[in-house]
Amino acid sequence: MTDPEKWAVWTLGVVALTTAAYFIFVALRGHGPQAMSVFALTALAALPKNGHRSWRSLDERERQIAHKALLTSYWAGWLAAITLSFIIWRVNGWDIAFALPMWKLMLALWWLGTLMLAVRSITTLVLYRRGSNA
Amino acid sequence: MPSEKLQIRNHIRRLRFEHAEMSQEELGKRAGVTRHTIMALEARKYFPSLLLAFRIARAFGVGVEQVFEYAENGDRGISDQKSA
Repeated sequence: MTDPEKWAVWTLGVVALTTAAYFIFVALRGHGPQAMSVFALTALAALPKNGHRSWRSLDERERQIAHKALLTSYWAGWLAAITLSFIIWRVNGWDIAFALPMWKLMLALWWLGTLMLAVRSITTLVLYRRGSNA
Repeated sequence: MPSEKLQIRNHIRRLRFEHAEMSQEELGKRAGVTRHTIMALEARKYFPSLLLAFRIARAFGVGVEQVFEYAENGDRGISDQKSA
């Protein structure tokens, strides 16, 4: 298994841990701004040394896979945002106005970031196994 | 209809054995890529850039057309036709 694959597996584990910790926290302490604290766990994704390889140290295939994985994660983030907007429009119409607490906005951004991290990891693993030309 | 990309063949594995059973690691070092990339090339899971193709050919001391070949659908490939 290559270093980027090891990083991807580790990161998926971090995402799973964060998701589980979030729901356990909410079940025990209730839904509130404190729940955001569990997203500090995503910092664990930066721990493995093999995840710190610089862009220059990657060969052309590894760069291609890293690039595609990053683009796919941005695409997933964009799709999630558009889908959420579409659902809000279908349910409430165009004229809806929100008074959203800041912590809920931040929570949504944390989830978006976590989703993008998961998509990037999964894409990395798939491209290493199936080939980056697909 | 097969993918256009799948029509690029290579003879890296054969050339490695013809060159004193050169390891994937050694070829990777000479071409400036990882062993995993050489493995992916041999398995046709990755098709190299022109630069890498030339580096691999240089590692074997042959021309790039002796390492990589393009074959039309159902074609056996240019080098296979020559040897037939």
